[in-house]
Amino acid sequence: MIQLSYLDYSATEGKSWLHRLSPKWKIIGMAFVLSAIVTVRSLPGLLLLYAILLGLFFLSRIPLKIFSLTLYPLIFAILFIFISGFQIFFILLVFVKVLCGSTGVVLLLATTPYPSIFRILGRFLPPLFVTALFLTYRSIFILLSIFEDTQHALYLRGGFQWRNPWRSLINISNAFGHLIIKGMEGSERMYESMVIRGFKNKIYYRGE
Amino acid sequence: MSHIHLPDGVLPFWLWISGFIVAILLGTILSRFTKREDLTKRLPLLGMMAAAMVLGASVEIVPIAYHVNLTVISGILLGPSLIFLGTFVVNVILALFGHGGITVIGLNTLTLSIEGIFGYVFFRLFWKILRRLTPATFLATFLALLLSTFSMIGVVGLGTSHYEEMMHQEGKGIFEFNLLKEKGDPHQTRVAEKEVDLNRFMAIVIPLGFIGWVLEGVITVLISRYIHKLKPDLLRLGKETA
Repeated sequence: MIQLSYLDYSATEGKSWLHRLSPKWKIIGMAFVLSAIVTVRSLPGLLLLYAILLGLFFLSRIPLKIFSLTLYPLIFAILFIFISGFQIFFILLVFVKVLCGSTGVVLLLATTPYPSIFRILGRFLPPLFVTALFLTYRSIFILLSIFEDTQHALYLRGGFQWRNPWRSLINISNAFGHLIIKGMEGSERMYESMVIRGFKNKIYYRGE
Repeated sequence: MSHIHLPDGVLPFWLWISGFIVAILLGTILSRFTKREDLTKRLPLLGMMAAAMVLGASVEIVPIAYHVNLTVISGILLGPSLIFLGTFVVNVILALFGHGGITVIGLNTLTLSIEGIFGYVFFRLFWKILRRLTPATFLATFLALLLSTFSMIGVVGLGTSHYEEMMHQEGKGIFEFNLLKEKGDPHQTRVAEKEVDLNRFMAIVIPLGFIGWVLEGVITVLISRYIHKLKPDLLRLGKETA
């Protein structure tokens, strides 16, 4: 998840044609990918879609570091294969669907700044929900910066060691407890500054 | 474990559409119980807790495909109405990072919010009975996760006929796909083999889930104790504390 900040950096600093393309068209494209994933049950058809998405990924010059994010959901797909009784066709179908979906969304997020996505979502979702989405996304980065400081403290207290699992669990839990408390204090400060700036249940984006 | 880590296109259309409808209905009903002003005021807090849940989801224990959810502790701190909106937001953000499909956001919200809402209810109940933080938190987390895992298995089970239909799609579609077919394999035997085995799925998920429930229970206990030490007001336990 530390790669999130890198994903955000790629979306705002990238200069490829896909970065420059209107977010509206990219979301329409993602909807097309999604409908293909839902309706297509042909393995070659899905492989073709995956090849197109991979092509777009590399043409957009998205850093390779981000590519690992697209493979992450496979960890869970492995669990799901047990339901099929190890049917190779079904397993491949599920895996390619997973890869198409994750590559599509990572491609969207790595080429489109999140405020642009939330602005479009705000046209058909309740403002309160979109505001919650925006605040969560913002909070992830606040918590990540707190987490970086906490990591040093964790390291000094022994960090995570397989040889001492109980100590490690206490360290991880204390880190999360620390994150929650600091996050809550941060959320109070954030709310106060938002109210001072005229926040009234809705976040307005540039151009609105 | 309670999260449905299914990709888009695996669950039947009616199931994920129903998931969205029920989630939206439930969200609307629950939001009626919260004052608008209170909701606006607690929105940054909701954002922070949702962000902590997203970060928790990144702590992956690969051998058992388990990640920390933090839904129960978030439910205890936020209350039932806000945790529902929180889980909805978490699932949208996770889906945007490829962690769970976009079409299953509604179903994931329902299963994950079971964890948050029941976690809150069980915690209040056990706290009233036991008056001790550690057992109340552990039991609330364990039972809430058990409930949500079984609801996830129920959701997966509802799509059984759809999976069988998908398995029988081999060779159909845009192009003929014969590379993996074995020559001389009787058709009847192959059809018999292509049956969904939900029992095998449960046999894998429940033991792994059990490890996850215990682990999440221990982590939630330790987090709640840490919060209790530094900011006991957040847990809203009243005067008596343990």
